[in-house]
Amino acid sequence: MITAEGLRKRYGSKVAVDDLSFNVRPGVVTGFLGPNGAGKSTTMRLMLDLDNGEGETRFDGRRFAEIRHPMTEIGAVLEAKSFHPTRTARNHLRMLAAGSRLPKKRADEVLEFVGLTEVRNKKPKGFSLGMAQRLGLAQALLGDPNTLILDEPANGLDPHGIHWLRDMLKALAAEGRCVLVSSHLLSEMSLMADELVVIGRGQMIFNGDVDEFVKKFTQTTVLVKSPSATQLTETLQQMGAEVEPNPEGGLLVSGADASVIGEIAHRDGIILHELATQSASLEDAFISATGASEEYVAHDVREEAASLVDGQGAHNETAGGAA
Amino acid sequence: MIDALRFESTRIRTLRSTYWLIGLGLLITAGIAGIVAIASSDEPLDDTLIMTVLTGGGEFATFIPIFMAIIGIFAVGHEYRHGTIQPTLLAIPQRSTVLLSKIVIVLFTSAVVAIVSVAINFGVGTLFWGEAPDLTASPLNEAVPGYIVMVMIYSLLGIALAQLFRGIPAALVILLITPLLVEGLIAGLSMVPALDWLQPILKFLPFGAGQRLLAVTPYDPQGGPEFDYLDRWASGGVFAAFTVILLAVAWYLFKKRDA
Repeated sequence: MITAEGLRKRYGSKVAVDDLSFNVRPGVVTGFLGPNGAGKSTTMRLMLDLDNGEGETRFDGRRFAEIRHPMTEIGAVLEAKSFHPTRTARNHLRMLAAGSRLPKKRADEVLEFVGLTEVRNKKPKGFSLGMAQRLGLAQALLGDPNTLILDEPANGLDPHGIHWLRDMLKALAAEGRCVLVSSHLLSEMSLMADELVVIGRGQMIFNGDVDEFVKKFTQTTVLVKSPSATQLTETLQQMGAEVEPNPEGGLLVSGADASVIGEIAHRDGIILHELATQSASLEDAFISATGASEEYVAHDVREEAASLVDGQGAHNETAGGAA
Repeated sequence: MIDALRFESTRIRTLRSTYWLIGLGLLITAGIAGIVAIASSDEPLDDTLIMTVLTGGGEFATFIPIFMAIIGIFAVGHEYRHGTIQPTLLAIPQRSTVLLSKIVIVLFTSAVVAIVSVAINFGVGTLFWGEAPDLTASPLNEAVPGYIVMVMIYSLLGIALAQLFRGIPAALVILLITPLLVEGLIAGLSMVPALDWLQPILKFLPFGAGQRLLAVTPYDPQGGPEFDYLDRWASGGVFAAFTVILLAVAWYLFKKRDA
């Protein structure tokens, strides 16, 4: 169990992490989400005593610095290429094993586990990002730890690699380990994570179950297709539901369950061609939850295009007027 | 601490730069020793000649000291240059233990290299001179250990500079520029009559003072500023104190800063 209490980090006048407290339970994969610059990496560094800040993190009741051989209890990778380019992958792991009182053969075991046996004696300066990520995972798994903290481990992995990573992390969590993983790949996170810690501008937005997060930050709608759409719309609006036309046909109803809509249609003798609950995705929930917390906001492409067209039109008009 | 020493020992042994720096240092100094020994094979042996051969020209070309300083710089600088400070601190979170283990291993390495280098050069000198010099008589009985101490201080200075600047380039620049330009500049300025008040501080310039560790003759101005250095070990103490002060500041910052 990871218990973070009151984590806080300031760079000059900028507060990077603002009084964050959360728990990471064993037995599940916990996703760590937030927009760019939200403070995810800083939070992880604070948890592992790599950065000096306020608050404390306890791993099964102990601070990181109190653990005699941390790699045997906590496996962490915060940067993909944290290795010397000319020290072989095997020697990199043997060096860390030596500092953690682990047998040399453990380096070969984890290299085989992550699929890098063939390149174990190669210099990692030629490793692709995906291979570097695998070496990082081997490093995290070196001490067979009960806790894994991984910052963007899926970056650079090919689809097979991502699939492998997902299965591996879920399997490790199923063994009762704590797994905290940050990722920008929300579709991947929705398949991998059971629980979430979501932050924005260094502040806590949500800590809990994935489904609960999606429910909390999105509205479930029901798609209805009926030849008597007008009559059904009036009835649903009278009972307080919101009804909007679906751009791809039919009606989108919010504020009424599919079962209620079905019963109303049956009562009023309205024929339904389609009645389907549309659940929002993790991505929808993430955008809804963190929209106000984005540190770096780019222009909306559609608005930008529209303004460019308007600008062009205005320019043409001016040019025409001048002519 | 034992685990940290095992870690650091593995770290230094699994880097190619360790081997080529040591190999190159031994080769160059043995080469210089050979050239000087051949050139002086008909001359009577004196302390200056013997010391030049034993140190591979240590009085005028500090190859082994600089190369060992670079090993010290790499011991810390690589951690920041390649981001390995993170896995290092994830394996051994006690920062003082990490730094202390680097100091112990690098000092041990530099001492062994300096002794091996002197032994090789002693063999080279003996080969060409046809006789083995007596190292038990003064001042060689102090100058040879002084040289080994100087090499060790250089390697410690490398660690201190790399930890202070958390990287390799700045540490290398300071290591090479300070003795060449800064100390040379201060010595030169002290010869200007209006600035002769600088002369009393010349004996406290660290690199110059450090060179006195392997001196076998009194300081000869040879047209330069006239002043007296402290004795061999006091001068060595000046160089060591400079290094220890830098190391203390670097150590404090290492514990205080983010990794």
